[in-house]
Amino acid sequence: MSANGHVDGDGGFLGLSGPNDERVDAEQQSLAAILNLIRCDEATTRLEVERISGLGRAIVADRVATLAELGLADESELGTAAGGRAPRSIRFAGKAGLLLTAHLDQTKIAVGIANLNGNFTFEHHEPSDAIVDQQAMLTRVTTLFDWALDQHQPGGHVWGIGLSIEGPVEQRPGQPFSSPALHFLPTWDDANFIESLVAKYEVPVWVSNATQMTTLGELRAGSGKDVRNMLFVDLGKEITAGIVCDGRLYRGAQGGAGLIGHIATTEDSAVVCKCGNVGCLEALAGADAIARAATQAAREGKSPGLATILAENGDLSPTDVATAAILGDPFAAELLARSGRLIGTTIAALSNAFNPSLIVLGGPWAQHSDILLAAIREAVYRRSHPLVSRDLKIVRSQMSGTATLSGLALSILDEIFAPYSLARWVKHGSPLKHPVSVAAIAAAKRELVARAAPRLPPGGPIVKRK
Amino acid sequence: MSITGLGPHGEKAASPLALKLTDADGAEAAARRFTVAVVLHTARSDWARQQLAGISSVLGQYQSAVVEVIDCGFEPKAQIEAFARLTASKADAIISIPLGNEAVADAHRLVHAAGKRLVLLDNAPTGLAPGRDYVCVVSADNFGLGEIAARLLSAHVGTEAGTGQTIGMLTYGVDFFATSEREIAFRKWLAKHRPDVKTVQSKFPSLDQVQDCAVKLLGGPTPLVGLFAVWDEPAIIAVKAIEAAGLSVPVTTIDLGNAVATNMARGGLIKAIGAQKPYDQGKAAAGATLLSLLGRDLPCWIALPGLAVTRDNVVEAYQSVWHAPAPAELLSARWT
Repeated sequence: MSANGHVDGDGGFLGLSGPNDERVDAEQQSLAAILNLIRCDEATTRLEVERISGLGRAIVADRVATLAELGLADESELGTAAGGRAPRSIRFAGKAGLLLTAHLDQTKIAVGIANLNGNFTFEHHEPSDAIVDQQAMLTRVTTLFDWALDQHQPGGHVWGIGLSIEGPVEQRPGQPFSSPALHFLPTWDDANFIESLVAKYEVPVWVSNATQMTTLGELRAGSGKDVRNMLFVDLGKEITAGIVCDGRLYRGAQGGAGLIGHIATTEDSAVVCKCGNVGCLEALAGADAIARAATQAAREGKSPGLATILAENGDLSPTDVATAAILGDPFAAELLARSGRLIGTTIAALSNAFNPSLIVLGGPWAQHSDILLAAIREAVYRRSHPLVSRDLKIVRSQMSGTATLSGLALSILDEIFAPYSLARWVKHGSPLKHPVSVAAIAAAKRELVARAAPRLPPGGPIVKRK
Repeated sequence: MSITGLGPHGEKAASPLALKLTDADGAEAAARRFTVAVVLHTARSDWARQQLAGISSVLGQYQSAVVEVIDCGFEPKAQIEAFARLTASKADAIISIPLGNEAVADAHRLVHAAGKRLVLLDNAPTGLAPGRDYVCVVSADNFGLGEIAARLLSAHVGTEAGTGQTIGMLTYGVDFFATSEREIAFRKWLAKHRPDVKTVQSKFPSLDQVQDCAVKLLGGPTPLVGLFAVWDEPAIIAVKAIEAAGLSVPVTTIDLGNAVATNMARGGLIKAIGAQKPYDQGKAAAGATLLSLLGRDLPCWIALPGLAVTRDNVVEAYQSVWHAPAPAELLSARWT
């Protein structure tokens, strides 16, 4: 971590914090520097601010007073005395603003409200199949945001919204926020999703890849604290990975790093993956593959335990397979063990390439099957180079879906409080006054109006002749 | 019945079947004679009594004991004080229903730090992580219960009046995962299936204010065509308020307590109930506690499906939920 609390080298990827033509003066720079010292708990008194920043007493006093007036710092409490009079304690006003976060995927929606310290005051996860209908998804997300704000933070000031979705999200250097439309499902083509959120809440919206945000959440708020090289593996319908190298989240050239479900396994298979290849890990060991194999076994009489559950539920999920295994069904146990070996072998290859000190296994299966996890661990340790596996820890995620929301909030905070960005808004007291935010909100509103307007025929408007 | 909701951190529900103690587990638990304290919002509700019965039955089976039951009287402060004492006590584990969110999070966080196991009922304060701060949450499928309450209330709200009919919602004004899930699910179901109906809400911060909130809802500008109360005790208070106002408003709620069950059985204003299975949830919580004390890694969210109860099946459901014959009052109300 760098001094300002960022993952090293991670500031600026979403566009708010890149250098631009606008110049910031010395006052803005010192305000930003002092605010970040306070925010990251590196300084809690004026004396500490003076010592760390190298700024003079009068300037520090002036800047701290300005931050307090702007509602970004609180100096109302006394700190610990070191012999003489107790100094005033300076605290970052973490409740000055709120961040709304949402994760959308094929089976669920999650929403959360975080304060400016990155701590959540509310989170909710619910099953959903609304992903196929862009308008239904937009309605649901805004309904949940509105309800949560009304119930938990009435009158709160929203500073930004973070969205995570499955699949790569291409980040365009220098372009504020996300790409203008979400194309992760054909039915979402030309969607006004982002613009609608920007216009409704009048805040910037960032869109990110879910696995990468989960990885960031695990790194900064979960098992990965103090770890600089980490893999996060999401075990669900898709199998994806987040990669942290030397403290930095690696996104890849197009934001598509970590699609390990499409690595070819060593197993000879004719199963065609949705990517068009054969033998992909996901096609052989993903949730759908497990459910398919379990259903076939139940119907063919190979597994009495699975047959019983299939008769009760009408279908089988990996969770059902895990339950059958716990209850002693040998087919279910072997199915999970086989999947675990395939996944573990792939992770071992990644481990040899990246040499992580920690692997975090997340996603729905990681919660439910010790057999699967044991098989993954066994394969990773067996197939990794001895040097790579010597101090390697493999743990189950403790945060589950919270990690994704947490990663979203932390990435927005990185963006908002990156020095370049902060210096441009700090004197206004809110990042909503940042020139890029103002422009983006105005652009989103214009875009919505333009799309709502009747389309003109090619060649311009038809002028009726008198 | 399947689980429709997700856990506090988005977990998919694990079945209580995942809490199976092998013969070896049972023998070890019996030999170690664990001690467990139970901290509840109240020990006087039907739900609480059933939870305690389920917990005690499993712990007793394995020579382990409930050494203390603390009734917090719905006061977070009482829970914080109880935890300060219990973390220093000899109890091996604590089973607790957290009374809110941020207010009691730190108190609960102390338990694992003190080397004890913590199993949560119904609620996990935001910021607490399974494995690090607690073993797991055992609860009903509160999201599914909210859907049941909405679906069954909708059956008593006609469609012929067109749009604009109003359903009242008596919701809990305390930040609490289980009741929030019910409310969100209730609203979601109505929005999807009954867009002709709108809702008005009144939040009660404590049970002694339910009466006022109910009267406020009933006195609103639009007459109510139905009312949802987030659990059974406020529901029965609301029923009295409706009757006192000389109105007839169908009510649905959550939890098959004696009073609401009897009211429904005799054809009262309670029309349907989404029932938890607190006895079975108690058994699951005790099983999770024992397995955790034996060093087993458990799923983070263990949930039991809700049960849709109407006058037609109230006797049978009562037996299933309470693990006891229906009381004479309920039987006579149902069959007359």
